[in-house]
Amino acid sequence: MKLYTLPIKEGDAPRTVNEMLRRLLIDKKVDAILAMTETPSRKSAFPTMVSDPEKLATNVFTPLLPVSTGTMVSRITKLRGVDRPLAVVLRSCELRALTELVKLNQADLRNIVLIGVDCLGTFPMNTYSSFPGKDTPTETLLKGENAEKYMRSACLNCKDPTPKNADIVIGVFGADPGKELFIGARTEKEEALLKGLGLKDVKDDKGRKKAVDEIRKMKDSRRELFIKEKSGIKGMDKLSEFFDTCVNCHNCMKACPICYCKECLFESAVFDLEAGKYMGKADAKGAYKTPVDSILFHITRFNHMILSCVECGLCEQACPSNIPLMDIIVPIAENAQKEFGYLPGRDPSEQIPMIVYREEEFQDVGE
Amino acid sequence: MSEEFEPRIVGFLCNWCTYAGADLAGTSRIQYPPNIRVIRVMCSGAVDSVYVNRALLEGADGVLVGGCHLGDCHYQSGNYKARRRMVLLKNILQTLGMEPERVWVKWISASEGQRFADTVKEMVDELKKLGPNPARERWNI
Repeated sequence: MKLYTLPIKEGDAPRTVNEMLRRLLIDKKVDAILAMTETPSRKSAFPTMVSDPEKLATNVFTPLLPVSTGTMVSRITKLRGVDRPLAVVLRSCELRALTELVKLNQADLRNIVLIGVDCLGTFPMNTYSSFPGKDTPTETLLKGENAEKYMRSACLNCKDPTPKNADIVIGVFGADPGKELFIGARTEKEEALLKGLGLKDVKDDKGRKKAVDEIRKMKDSRRELFIKEKSGIKGMDKLSEFFDTCVNCHNCMKACPICYCKECLFESAVFDLEAGKYMGKADAKGAYKTPVDSILFHITRFNHMILSCVECGLCEQACPSNIPLMDIIVPIAENAQKEFGYLPGRDPSEQIPMIVYREEEFQDVGE
Repeated sequence: MSEEFEPRIVGFLCNWCTYAGADLAGTSRIQYPPNIRVIRVMCSGAVDSVYVNRALLEGADGVLVGGCHLGDCHYQSGNYKARRRMVLLKNILQTLGMEPERVWVKWISASEGQRFADTVKEMVDELKKLGPNPARERWNI
């Protein structure tokens, strides 16, 4: 990856990056940009598709994850990829999700330039929209001092905040975002794209690699500690207590970038039973609560998506009962992905473990 | 005197091998415990985790997924895929402390009536040691 620096104007990193992206539009290097843009009320921000350079008002550092941009790219390109160049700005978990969605044939990356941005973390939607601090959420995030106390659990325990498989990288780690940022280009094609944007060449990487390695190491040990702390949810009693406040709304599934099924099995007619079956179920167990099957839903959902789980925490953010889903999902994901030697988002050429097999594996099973 | 605990097993047996093996056990009059309720499926690869989880959460003490021997699948690779799926399922149950040892996978061919009977016997013995499935008493899941 070829590395440059982008000098920050007036200490305003989001605006300087926005100007750089605007240049891409003005010079017709891309026809549109999909990136986080604050709504007029400033209470929220969404990935916004902009083709008019005048209307480009992105903030790629917005500490908010209302949806996964990976899901949005899937929605835009699922029927057919874009036929004009489009640049998409994504944080690391969104890139991982998009990589998985491409493997699942749910997104098409043709003519798309993936711009990955180092992620400093995100705040819950409610915290963001009525932010308590004097600074704006983005200022708080970039200053760093108090940002952690607002951060979502998924971000505190993020598995890797640096973008993988991006064509262009906007790097914060190792740089002073008040003065300059790193910009990386994957191949010569992207280098050509970055010409004329006022970037400076970088010799001997200015500590970028060291900073990235350090942050990854720090995140790894933090996540390890989190898994150790949370591995106490074991057995029927603890599990049913954990999900006791679940109201079967299935919001976790709807927010999940990996749960791509148009109609979830659990919302299909498969679970429409005749009255007699419900009565029979009471006879069999003596009693049961309605709505039925909340734990069945969660466990089965884990079986269906956990190998591709990118740990974005959107499920947890979507839960109306504030069930701390990451407490259970991170340990499950860690163990399951380890079993298959698979890391979601690592390599686009890998296949999803559930659609392939090797003859000589798990040989004790079935004998 | 209290009645001895009789485990209830739900078996998902593939149409081409294990189901025929169970049939052979019957027609050959091989004795085996009546604790298993058999559900015929077209392939072990068609057994989604939802079936197994459902059986376990409704209180089945054991689940048997039976398929053709590796290499013999009527659909070429269904049992290889079933193997991965069941490894994942048991891995998740393990993390959740939900007794993955209640889930058994066995490759039993159409000519192995005895192996089917032995499997059920062995399963009943093991499940008796393990005791009843705690999910059976849970009304709030």
